[in-house]
Amino acid sequence: MIIEEGVLKDGTKYILVEKSTLIEELNNLKNQGYDYLILMSAVDYKKYREVVYHLGSYNDNRKIVLKVRTEDDILQSSTPLWGAANWFEREIYDLMGIKFEGHPNLKRIFLPEGWHGHPLRKDYDMSKKQYVNMKEDGTDLVSFNPEDGW
Amino acid sequence: MEEKILEVNFGPQHPSTHGVLRLKVKLNGETVLSAEPIIGYLHRNAEKLSEFNYYASNLIFMDRLDYVGNHNMELGYVLAVEKLAGIDVPERAIWLRMLFAELNRIASHLVWAGTMGLDLGMITPFFYAFRERERILQLFEMVSGARLTYNYISIGGVYNDLPNEFDEKFKEFVNDFPARLNELKSLFEKNEIFIQRMKGIGILPPEVAKSYSITGPVLRASGVNYDIRKISPYLYYDKVDFEIPISHGMDNYARFEVRFKEMEQSLKIAKQVYEKLPPGEYQNSLYKKSGLINIKGAGESYVRTESPRGEFGVYVVGDGSKKPYRVRIRSPAFHNLSAVNEMVKGLKIADLIATLSTLDPVFGEVDR
Repeated sequence: MIIEEGVLKDGTKYILVEKSTLIEELNNLKNQGYDYLILMSAVDYKKYREVVYHLGSYNDNRKIVLKVRTEDDILQSSTPLWGAANWFEREIYDLMGIKFEGHPNLKRIFLPEGWHGHPLRKDYDMSKKQYVNMKEDGTDLVSFNPEDGW
Repeated sequence: MEEKILEVNFGPQHPSTHGVLRLKVKLNGETVLSAEPIIGYLHRNAEKLSEFNYYASNLIFMDRLDYVGNHNMELGYVLAVEKLAGIDVPERAIWLRMLFAELNRIASHLVWAGTMGLDLGMITPFFYAFRERERILQLFEMVSGARLTYNYISIGGVYNDLPNEFDEKFKEFVNDFPARLNELKSLFEKNEIFIQRMKGIGILPPEVAKSYSITGPVLRASGVNYDIRKISPYLYYDKVDFEIPISHGMDNYARFEVRFKEMEQSLKIAKQVYEKLPPGEYQNSLYKKSGLINIKGAGESYVRTESPRGEFGVYVVGDGSKKPYRVRIRSPAFHNLSAVNEMVKGLKIADLIATLSTLDPVFGEVDR
């Protein structure tokens, strides 16, 4: 269900959709020929997070932007539609903390497991340094103390 | 004999990973069952850092993304900011941007050609490739003063006009390069071992490539005719004559062929651009020096460009202040790498290295 429509500053048309109909709308667009997931980004507007899908086509110059807002940081995964969504969603989960339901392997992609917080959030505390060391079994250990670890 | 599955960590410190890539490889003897890329060893979070600086200051983070195709990285960001803030660019600057973007594409592909040779145990092509790349770097050094992080393409135009000695050096390079390129190519093409290791290895079907949002030479080697420069022309790509090389081989050899042909086309574009270069301003005078700090933008913009590795673009969200609210980078090598598992299943481990080298990942850009 489309809540809002408009044109972005760069001239691309955008639609804002209802969160519960996200996959349906993405699927609709894919069937209309938007078969190329150009970019998935997440923007933190403090009250809510907005996930932005830039969709294009491998045949022509079409482009459309689909936006969805979430306050509880849970969205449906679009991995059944595009293979590329797998890493996009892992990245957004890692840096913005949005969980994608139905993702086959939702774990951090850049930062080590155990990292505190999600850096791209506006409320992320940058004054606390985190150190990555190694545990005795070879896995990563994240702590606030540089001396920790094996 | 009993079958045993062995899990091997390939990298992060390994000469053939082109940076700090770690692959968790499951092996049955010498056959690869699966390869899971583990990335993030070079992660600086350029996206977050960009939120704390003026629009113009962020250029240095873009330079450090794809550190062998810097001009193209700067271009993607600058175009997005200009669209957001509504900044006009003089005609000469647009042509100059195109000239350096194309020269950088050649330089980037030369690095790839050299390192691909190294990965496959051929040292000679590396020297041939880097000899030519050096001449391009000298051209870059002339205009920007730097050899690696140029900071040349700036908001509102370019940093500097061409110096007097550029003309002679550029023409010398353009004259010599086609023969040198053929020489380099023949080092690969006439090598039976090279062909054996490339043909039919690392198959990437077009449907898989499309699903994984793969772009650039990797996609075109799978038979999809898709190049942002043709599909959605930016700068003056619609005013020059060039072709998009494609190949239907889908394998490592196809990717090798496409990149070499692309270098020829880039040279063709660079030549035309240099002939068409109009006189005039190279920088919008409103945005010289201190004027750069006062750039403000509100709204959202994303401009698609074709970097040496595929579609590069920066999604910039502005809230009307002097600093961007959010900067999101689309890096092509990130996606090209994500399909590696699909390409290497069932290959030998030596072929995994060959396949990885034709994907040409640069980790400054993958990890951001």
